[in-house]
Amino acid sequence: MSLFQGLYRITDMMGTAALRWEGGVGLEADVAQLRRGDLDALTTLVSRYQNRLYRFLLRLVRDRSEAEDLFQQTWIHVAEKIRRFDPSRNFDAWLFTVARNLAIDHLRRIRPASLDQPISEGESQETALDRLAAHDPAPLDRILENERANRVGTALDELPFAYREVMTLRFEEEMKIEEIAQVLGIPLSTVKSRLRRSLEQMRNNLETRYAGENWR
Amino acid sequence: MSASRDLSVTEHSKIREMLALAAADALEPNESELVMQHVRTCPQCSAEMEQWQLLSRGLRQLPTPQPSAELVQRTCARAEARVIDEREHAWNRRVMISLVLFAWALTLTSWPIVRLVSGGLLSLLDPRLNQSWLGFAGFTSLVWLTGGIAAALLARHQRSERSLA
Repeated sequence: MSLFQGLYRITDMMGTAALRWEGGVGLEADVAQLRRGDLDALTTLVSRYQNRLYRFLLRLVRDRSEAEDLFQQTWIHVAEKIRRFDPSRNFDAWLFTVARNLAIDHLRRIRPASLDQPISEGESQETALDRLAAHDPAPLDRILENERANRVGTALDELPFAYREVMTLRFEEEMKIEEIAQVLGIPLSTVKSRLRRSLEQMRNNLETRYAGENWR
Repeated sequence: MSASRDLSVTEHSKIREMLALAAADALEPNESELVMQHVRTCPQCSAEMEQWQLLSRGLRQLPTPQPSAELVQRTCARAEARVIDEREHAWNRRVMISLVLFAWALTLTSWPIVRLVSGGLLSLLDPRLNQSWLGFAGFTSLVWLTGGIAAALLARHQRSERSLA
């Protein structure tokens, strides 16, 4: 890593930490206000989380109207149960847990098969990595340069549910591994192994699908 | 010589397994440091790391789909309505409990007065209480029936007001 990259990363981390701290203070006040029954705080919280929560739900259910419905249900649930929320806990984790549980219940009712989509928990590390290594040496940069967002977004949507949720929480919600473990109710080691396997599966899918195409 | 090469091969494959997580910033600081040290000296892992970083960057830069303003507004309105509803229910529950307690207190305190007026307080101490208790039951039923009818009428009125709103 060059000196410039190092400095950039440190500055970026400090900026993110400062923003999080500032946001955290306001967030705690909003949550406390909502717990006291202040409805303005509810509006503030909905505005604060609207994009993140909607994106998360959309990623899980992959359907706009279903995500919209779940978005409403999540906030209604939050409004009803906020008194049961322990303020010493992480509100983000609680909110996303509520949303995830509602999404799972919904999918179990509507499309149970989408939850049972197999994940390659048993696949050996060597197999996945060897398959990656067998491809064209650097197709990924070509793939990602053109229509990157579209391709990556589609590839992410094609992952099984258990992989999608871990990926969106890590990369889109930028949650720490500990927070993801809290939301999903699984051990840290499982979060890490799922994250690694989802990245491998995604990269493998991208490289298999777009290998040999001229992207430039 | 061979032993050190084996060690380095083991380290190489171990690090290679960690590259995806390193790019996802999901390693412990000491693991991350170990990976970076190896990547600095291993061109193969360095190239591999670049690929994982590209993918991670691609994921982090995915566009954020935004909910419509109408959805957000509708959500706030529905959630607020639910909070108000909940609050009203809680209030009604409290009022109901207070009313029940008050009604019992009123029944119990007014009964001696009724007896006093209608037959004398001393009859309460009569060992043949059957008559007395029958009267009390009748009086209680009358008080509660009146209260019940009043509560039902009030609830009906409140419901029709809410549906009009």
